[in-house]
This record gives sequence, structure tokens and C-alpha cells, in this order.
Amino acid sequence: MNLEPILALAGKLAAPHDLATMLAEVMDAAIQVLGAERASVWLYEAESDELVLRVASDIAPVRLAAGVGIVGTCARTRQVINVPDCYADARFDPSVDRKSGYRTRCLLALPLIDHQGALVGVMQVLNKKHAVFDAGDEALGGVLAAQCAIALQRTLMMQQVIEGEKLRREMETARALQMSTLPAVMPQVPGYDLYGTFQPADLTGGDTFDLAMTEQGLLVVLGDATGHGIGPALSVTQMHAMLRMALRLGADLERAYRNLNDQLAERLPADHYITAFIGLLDPATHVLRFHSGGQAPILRYRAAPSRWEEHKPTLFPLAAMPLARLPPATTLVLEPGDVLALISDGIFECENARGEQFGAERVRRLIAERHDAPMAELAAGLLGAVQAFAEGAVQADDMTLVLVKREQAGARREFRRGVESLAQIFAFTAETVQEPALRRTVDLVLEELFTNIVKYGRASDTKVSIDLRCAGQGVRVTLTDPDAEYFDPQSAPQPDVRAPLERRQPGRLGLHLVRELVDALEYRYSREERAGRITFTVGKRDAVD
Amino acid sequence: MLSIEPGAEGTAVIGRFDAAQCATVQTYLDKLDGIVTLDCSRLEYISSAGLGVLLKTQKRLMAAGGKLRLTGVNRHLRDIFVYSGFDQIFEIE
Repeated sequence: MNLEPILALAGKLAAPHDLATMLAEVMDAAIQVLGAERASVWLYEAESDELVLRVASDIAPVRLAAGVGIVGTCARTRQVINVPDCYADARFDPSVDRKSGYRTRCLLALPLIDHQGALVGVMQVLNKKHAVFDAGDEALGGVLAAQCAIALQRTLMMQQVIEGEKLRREMETARALQMSTLPAVMPQVPGYDLYGTFQPADLTGGDTFDLAMTEQGLLVVLGDATGHGIGPALSVTQMHAMLRMALRLGADLERAYRNLNDQLAERLPADHYITAFIGLLDPATHVLRFHSGGQAPILRYRAAPSRWEEHKPTLFPLAAMPLARLPPATTLVLEPGDVLALISDGIFECENARGEQFGAERVRRLIAERHDAPMAELAAGLLGAVQAFAEGAVQADDMTLVLVKREQAGARREFRRGVESLAQIFAFTAETVQEPALRRTVDLVLEELFTNIVKYGRASDTKVSIDLRCAGQGVRVTLTDPDAEYFDPQSAPQPDVRAPLERRQPGRLGLHLVRELVDALEYRYSREERAGRITFTVGKRDAVD
Repeated sequence: MLSIEPGAEGTAVIGRFDAAQCATVQTYLDKLDGIVTLDCSRLEYISSAGLGVLLKTQKRLMAAGGKLRLTGVNRHLRDIFVYSGFDQIFEIE
């Protein structure tokens, strides 16, 4: 056996070739080593159970079912087939010869099996020069085939990695584009607390949102494009850009929506569409006008009294078809304390390992419970709850939420831990609460709760924030300690205020007074953030005067 | 802010008696003996910290046969005193 060509071949096959080069190398090696006229390599495709012969890059490959013909039989049996006289073998298909004009006398079909035992393909070697293939050729061919199988397998895997990498990079680019259109900072609109957030899924999803001040008002958008892969990410990016452009050119809600729909209907593939809420809010009059193409639910939490309102989409999804006629937009007037919540289905439909969905009820409950918190905090709480619910299940879809809250009249400020801050705290309440008796009650409750934090809380450089909001006839106050141990003031023991002087102690009186003076008090503690928050309300009717 | 003014009708405590004022008032009251009258007619505000100062002083004075009298108590202060049970242990006018 002449080992030299085989060893030379081993070196060539180890080089990192692309698939076409590797196939050429393998065929060339077979011709050299076996002294044949021609060789071809059929690659096995497991999904279709077919063998595929690539003739040239611009010609469709020839396909052959495994088990059919000599090559197919070789693939099925994984045995070398040596045919000394092709035209005498019933499995041989002479039509190929007829087309090409080449005459096949004898052939050797060698299964290509990699070192893990997987079938990579079949190598067919034709017409041994001046002879037929013998047992020595079969043995040599077997060694060659093993080498080639491993080299081809490696090349195929490389190609998959490269293609995967290419797709991944394309996805990343599409994602980056999608993300880049989102507002980097939330617009600051007096009287409103605005927050939008987008949490992309790993691979697919086409959500977007927008919150931006325009000439026409505050633009509020939540969009979700159908489909998977790069397409939806690019569709919503287009939508986002086109909408901003339309508004910059002076279009009103109707013209912008209609143009957007008709343009997208023309541009996007027929099976692509986008569900989208597009609204314009006038912060001076608090009037919100919107169209929603299939985006639902449109939720409004109403603070006073606490209740939910749900609005239906006004139209079919964007880009589904051109709009013949636009129905009137829905108009809402946001009242103090109202929260408009636009939430993508990635949140409602988030599934845990048991196949349960997060659902609308959980979303509503969370918002109702925490509508008093800053919207950024509410959003973080909602996404945190979704994450906890998923119990580690992979996020299947983009999660996006847009929260628009009309603030109650009031303000929020931060104070250093220390009794010396009391003067500043009282100055702050004096700015917000006009009525003297109400203010005195607020001051007293605040002082007790604040000095409690100063005395018994952690020694921390962080500041304690106080948020004051007018609520109906009274005031709602929220104290947030961003670095706290758990301590629920409601659980503090009651002092005995009937005890005789000898047994009276000054302690515990503060929280006792708090309980006497507030209408309602709620304590919340976040273990993850180590944050404690006390919210209390004091009504005018209960104020001492 | 809080100020203390001695006068014929007793010692006037004027302004807001909050946790930041305790040390000042305590130091002042610690020097007094016998029956001490605090004129609260211009006292706008008192918190539990202030109540603590009054309680401590009352204990000290009564142990020596004296006491603390609170005069000119408005309705707001009276409510706080009642919530705290101080109406039981102080003479309030």
C-alpha cells in the first residue's frame, strides 16, 4: 500500500477549508490515492434522509433518497460497495451517463462515517484506470473515507458555527437598532410621572415604546410586531422612526396614524403586522387622544375612588391593510392619581415551568397596590414579580411597559438622617399643606416616624425621602428609607397610657400618637432593596385643631 | 423654633417643641424646683419627644414634693395630652 499520498492528504485535510474547497480536496485525494478517473461526494442530510450532491454553486444540488441506487444503498448499509461492471448492476442508473456522455465502467462507493459513528455522506469513485477496484482499493478507500469523513464533519460544523454567528450578529444589529430608538431618558413633564421600559427576550420579539414631548403633545406609544427573528425588530424600528417623522412634519394623530398604517402595509410582508397604541396627551388639559391598532388591554387605574377602566382597540393592527376610513380616536381625561398602563403581552403571557401564565389579574393587583409609588419603582416591582413568577423559565417574548401617571398635587424631597432635619421637613410640609391643623397633624406623624428611623434605623449616609400628595380632602405621605431593617411601626407594642406616673415611660408614645392620628397606614419592606416604606393618609376631618 | 421666657404667670414655652428642642428645654427645666408652671398658650406644637421631657420633669419634681402645671393649653395640645394619658398625670388648665 502506498502510504505517501494518504499522509500528504491527512495534512491537507487538517487545514481549515470552506466546504467547497474541502470537497474538492477530498475528491482530488480519492482520485490520486485510488488511481481513479473521477470522484464525487454525496453529503447525507438527516432531516430529509437524502443524499445531496453539489455540482456547482449556481446549479441546484442533485438529491437522492437514502436506500435508492448504489450510493443510496451504501448510505443505508454503511458498507463499501464495489461494482466491477456498472451496466450489469440493476441498482445502477445509466441516465446520468446518458446526459453527461461519460461512460461509467466500474465504481467504488465508500460510506463516510465520522469518529462518533454518524453518517456524513457517501464517496463515489469511478473508473479505476486500466482496471477495476480490488480488495486493496477497498481497504485503502476505507482508510481514506474515514479521514475524509472527519475532515468533512469538522468543516460542516465550522460552517454551522459561522452561519449561526452571522445570524447572531444580524440579530444583534437588529436588536441594537430596536433599542437605539427607545427614549434614553424619560421626558420630564410637570404634573406627570412617566416611565417606559423594554426588556428584550433572548432571540425573538418585536416590541417598542415611545414617550416623547412633541409639538402636538406627549407622544405615548407601545408597539408589538408579530413574528420571530430579525423581521419584527426591524418592523417596529421602522414604525418608530416613521411616526416620529410624521409628527415632526406637523401631522396630527389621525394623519400620522393613517400614513403610518398605509406605508407599513405597503412595505411589510403580507403576514407581518404590528399591534400598536399611539396616543397624544396634552399635559395642560390632561386630554389623551389615542388610536390602538389591535393593542390591548388599555388599562387605566383610577385612584379616587380606586377602580379599573379598560379600553378597547380602535382599529385592526397596523400594516394589516390600508385604511379606507379612520374611526374617531378614543379620548380620555386623566384625573389626578390616574395611571394609564400599557403592557405588552410578553408580560401577561409570561409562563412558569407549570405552564401557568402571569395573567392580567396579577398585573392589576400590583398596580392597584403600588400606584402611589414612583412609576419607575412600580415598573421594577412588576418586572420583578414577573421574574419571580417565571421561576427561571426562559423569557419567551419581549416585555414592555409604559406607565403614564398624572400626579396628585404635591412634591417629594430627601432629608438627612438626624433630628436637625426636622426644621427642613416642617418647612417642606408648610409649602404643600396649607391648612394649619392638617399640617400640624402631618408634621407630628412625620416627626414621630422620621425620628424613629433616625433613632432605631441603620446608621447610613443615604437620605430618607418624603413624598407629600394631596389626596381628596387630606394628605397622603410616603416616607422611604432606602437602607432599612424590617420594622413595621404598626407592630410596635402599645404603651399603657392609663398607668400611674411612677410606671409611665416616655418610650413608645410616638408610635402610639401616630396610630391615633392617621386615617390609614401601610408599611412595605423590600428585602432585595433593603428599603422600607411607610405610607399614611391624614384627612382634614381627622386633623386636630 | 422654640423659645423659653420666664414670666409672672409661669415659664412661657413658645413655638414648636419637637425632638430637636429637647436638650435645650430639658436643661432649662432641670434647674427648676417646687411647683413649676409652664405657660403653653403660645406653644403651637409638641411631639412625643417633648412629652418625654415633661414626663421626666414631672417625675423629678413630684419625688421632691413639687409638680409641673400646664396652663393655657389649647385644644390641639389637649388632644395630644389626652391621647398620651397625660391628662391623668398632669394638672392641665
